[in-house]
Parts: sequence; structure tokens; C-alpha cells
Amino acid sequence: MDNLIKVQDMCKVYNPGENEVRALDHVNLEIERGEFVAIIGHSGSGKSTLMNMLGCLDIPTSGSYFLNGKDVSAMKDNQLSEIRNQEIGFIFQGFNLISNLTALENVELPLIYRGIGRGQRHKLAKDALIRVGLEKRMAHKPSEMSGGQQQRVAIARAIAAEPPVILADEPTGNLDSASTGEIMDILKGLHKQGRSVILITHDNEIADQAKRVVRILDGRIVEDYYNEEKKEREA
Amino acid sequence: MGNIAEYIKMAFKNITANKGRSFLTMLGIIIGISSVIMVMAVGDGTANAMNAEVQDLGSGQISVYCSDEAINAEAWITPEDLAMMKEKIEGVEGVTPNDGSSGSTMTGKGEFAVTLSGGTEDLQKALNFAMKRGSYFTAADVEEGNLVCVLSDSDAKRLFGSDDVVGMDIEVTINGMIGSYRIVGVTQQKENTSFISYTYDGMPVSLDVPYTSFAAFGWESDSFYSATVFANDKESGQEVVHDIIHILETRHQCAGEEYYQIQSFQDMLTEMNSMLAIVTTFISCVAAISLIVGGIGVMNIMLVSVTERTREIGIRKSLGAKTSSILLQFLAEAAILTILGGIIGILLGLLGAMGACSLMTASMGSVIHPGIKASTILGATLFSCGIGVFFGIYPARKAAKLSPIEALRRN
Repeated sequence: MDNLIKVQDMCKVYNPGENEVRALDHVNLEIERGEFVAIIGHSGSGKSTLMNMLGCLDIPTSGSYFLNGKDVSAMKDNQLSEIRNQEIGFIFQGFNLISNLTALENVELPLIYRGIGRGQRHKLAKDALIRVGLEKRMAHKPSEMSGGQQQRVAIARAIAAEPPVILADEPTGNLDSASTGEIMDILKGLHKQGRSVILITHDNEIADQAKRVVRILDGRIVEDYYNEEKKEREA
Repeated sequence: MGNIAEYIKMAFKNITANKGRSFLTMLGIIIGISSVIMVMAVGDGTANAMNAEVQDLGSGQISVYCSDEAINAEAWITPEDLAMMKEKIEGVEGVTPNDGSSGSTMTGKGEFAVTLSGGTEDLQKALNFAMKRGSYFTAADVEEGNLVCVLSDSDAKRLFGSDDVVGMDIEVTINGMIGSYRIVGVTQQKENTSFISYTYDGMPVSLDVPYTSFAAFGWESDSFYSATVFANDKESGQEVVHDIIHILETRHQCAGEEYYQIQSFQDMLTEMNSMLAIVTTFISCVAAISLIVGGIGVMNIMLVSVTERTREIGIRKSLGAKTSSILLQFLAEAAILTILGGIIGILLGLLGAMGACSLMTASMGSVIHPGIKASTILGATLFSCGIGVFFGIYPARKAAKLSPIEALRRN
């Protein structure tokens, strides 16, 4: 079976020509199913660009990207939308919930775009909210919830449709330490259930909680290790 | 891509979330649609009322005129011509020359201008008014040139303060000559015929008199510029017209010279209606411009909404919304706004038309019902949908084309 994610020689160049910015410079990366990977780097390191590529929000300038066996690098907008809908669950730093929809309606959104009927949609969305411990907040709007709760809604939205990849972009960046702990526990729990989780962060402490760490600097991968192995080596 | 019902639900949610703004957006459409509906309904209602009155009054009337050529040739219409028409043409019930003069009279109520309509006893047919008192003047009066007259009850009241005036005399001065007309009949002024006979203070008193009575003022009435023929059957109008021309041309030996012109009431009616249609169309066009302005208003607000909701669009796209999903969502929003505006506009327009018609009915005396046609309402509805879609496309496309990364980055 193919890798879940297979990135080969990927480049992303902004403003080609003068003032060229090479955000990704010949990146190669493979991620297996069920992995819990942290992609770590400073701002400007290219990690956000990599996240956009992995999340199929953008296509690379050159190189290829196979997601779940499908070549994504040459897809058109609508195909990318479909891939995002089917293969990826996004968790963003800024939660990105729609403010005039309730928690339940927010979680239902990707299911609507997948074309799932009303009854099944409600059930899937409720299940997901129960899994993140928000069964009592389903009818609340984002403005009526704390940051941690909002992020849990976002996680429920990401997992409701059971996508193969959960892609979390600085999920704890806007949260206090207590909420950060909660969110990380949920992500770890998802990993334990066998899901693939990719976490983008600039925070070493967060990265340490993942199984594997990929460090990116100036658009290149400079380090790629498993936390357990590293600890053993250091010990 | 999900189903349309979901997009309509989303659109409703957004519209109700911004009630004030949604209403302001719709206002342009509401004003546009309601004014189109109102103008059309009032215009059609007026036309219907006018037609009904004219039909009632003038159907079967055919006017004959001398052309400039006939005047130059002094081929005037004569009483003998008219007598022959009445005798020979099938379907002709009456003929009268249109002779007239004006003068003045003094009564206890003051001095009045007087308009005299001279004709035969058949002139009665032109009026279609019921006699209230006395009777119309007779063929004998015409024959003998008697100075008798008929007037309306309202004129009688203006002159004498009462309509019980049969047998009284009116001294009329024309060109310094005085003739004393005896009142033989008073007509009942028909109500609700404001388009035909509108009375106002200072308007001349109108008397119907035998055309032969003008002999008393020193001129012979034996040739006329125009005459009216009363046909009993509207359908036979064309034949009657042909026969009238034939008699005149034969008697004046001017076949083919086009000395005489005919205008039937039907012609006048058609002319009147087409004039009214032009006015209605013109006003409707002005109202339609306001609809377009309303549409631009919708477009404007939708554009603002797209800018405001860029982040939402980004979120939706990242969750798998396709270009077409976003397009449909925004298009549904624009369409719902304009359709709602259209419906409110139609209702207001109908109410406005009823209001305007009852105002007009009250002030003019003619009963005008708003002419509400299904086609107008259907047209207005379709037009407002069209505007919603047309002016919604640009903002919706703009929203749909946003790249998810760009959209998510913005706040």
C-alpha cells in the first residue's frame, strides 16, 4: 500500500523572477498512516507553505505530492476542494468557525459539502461533538464559548467526516496552558485511535508531544526524527 | 456539491442575521417594483374606465368632416345630404349637422357665457342622457326653426338655482342680436363621466337647440363643416362609412377627390388608448430605471458582504466547498433578497394602485378600478428575479474565485 503522504522534490516559489521567494526548496517527505507528526519551524521557515501544500490549499510550483495514493500536485481548484473535503480535517490556530452558525452547524459544514443527508449529518456531527466533550454546547455560537471550547468544536468539525489526515496548524497558538493541555490530549487520543495527525507548530514543547518531528528551516527539511529514538540517544 | 435547499437555507440565515441591511438592500427593488405595478395598474384602470365611458356614450357615432379641398370648393355638407343618408343607408338611425355658436345670457344669478349646439332632434342621441324634465326638441321644432332649447340640470341650477325650469325663457345674445329660447327639456347629468363632461365654475352654459333656430340671429343654416351620423350597429360601421362617402361624393360630384373625412368613435377610442399606452409605457420605463438602480444596490451590498465574509468563504473552501457551492450560496442570497423585495413591492404596488384609484375616483367622479393583470405581476416577479441573478453574479463570482489561503489570511 502507498504511503499516506508522499512529497517528492517539492518547490514553491512566490513572485517568480525578481524578488523571488523560494518558500519550499526541494522538499522530500513521507508520512505513513497512523503517524503523529509535528512539523516545526520558525515563522518564515516555510512551514505554513508546507502546511498549505499538505492541506491541498495550494499546489506546488514543481515536484509532486501524492495524498492517499492520489497525485494532487496537478489538480484543479474543484478537484482540490473535493480532496480537502474527503481526505483532510483542518484545525486552525484561529479556530475558523463561522460566527453566525451554532457549534453543531459548524461541525455539519464539511458534511454538507460532502452531500450527506440531513439525518446522517446530524448524527455524525453530534457524535463528533460528544467525542470532544461538548455535548452540552451544541446549540451555542462560537462567541458564547471559550477559546478552548471553540478549538474543540473545530476538532469535532475536522473529525466528523472521518478523514484520513488531520492537519492542525498551530492549534494551541491562541490558547492558555490549560486549554493547550486539553487540546493536545484530544489530539493524542485521536492518534491512539489510529488516526494520522500532522501538527504544525513553532513550539518545541508541543512538538515533543508528537511521535515524530520534522524540522524545517529556509524551506528545507533539516531534521527528521522520532522523539523516542532521540530520547534514547540522549539517555 | 450538496443540494440547493442547503444553499437556500444558508442564504436565509445570512439575510435574517442582517435584517436592517437586508431591508435597505431590498428597498430599491421594493420601490422599483411597486412603482411599476402601481403605474401599470392605474394606467390600465384609467384606460378601462375611459373605454367604458366612451363605449357607453359614443359607440355607433360617426363624424363626417369636410377636408380643406371641400371647403375651397364650397362643397359643404347640406341638410339634404343628411336627410338622404338617414333615408337611404341601412343602419343609420339619425343624422345631425354639427352647428354651433356662442353668446351670453343674463339671469338673476349673473352673466353667463353660452355655448349653443345646433342640430336636429337626433342630437339627443349624441348625449345619451336621460331626460329629467320635459322633453327634447322635436323634428317639428327643427322644421319650423323654433327657438327652443334643452340644457342639463346642473346648468339649469347655475342659471336659475333650480332645475324646474321647463317653460322658462333664456335670452341669448349672439353678435349683438338677442333671441329668446324657451326651455323645453332638462337632461339628467350622468354621473361618473368625468372624462367626457367635466364641469367647472365659469364654464359656459351648454344649450342644445335646433340648428334652424340660428335664422333668428340672421344667418341661414344650410351648409355645414361637419355632421354626425348615428349608426345602430357597431359592426356595420365600415359599410355605413362607405355609403356616407358615396352619397356625399355623388351629390357634390366629387367622386375620388377625398373631399370628406370620416372619424368614427372607434377610431378615437383606439387613438386615445394608444396615447394612454404611450404615457403608461413612458412612466413604466422611468420606474424600470429605478429597478435597475435597485439592482445595482443589491450588487453593492453583496460586494460588501463578500468582502466582509472573505474569511467565511475561506473557511468554507478549506472545508471542501467548491467554486460552484460558493457561487450558488451567494447567488441564492441575491435572488432571495430581490424576490422578497419583489413580493413586498408587488403588494405595496397593488395597495398603492388601489389608493390612487380611490383618490382619483373621489376627485374626478369617474369610478376607476385598478387594472391588475396577471401578466404584469408575473413580469415584475420575473424581472426582479432576473435582476437578483444578474446583479448577483458578479459578487458571487468574486466570492467563489477567492483562493482559500488568501481568504483565510484576511480578517
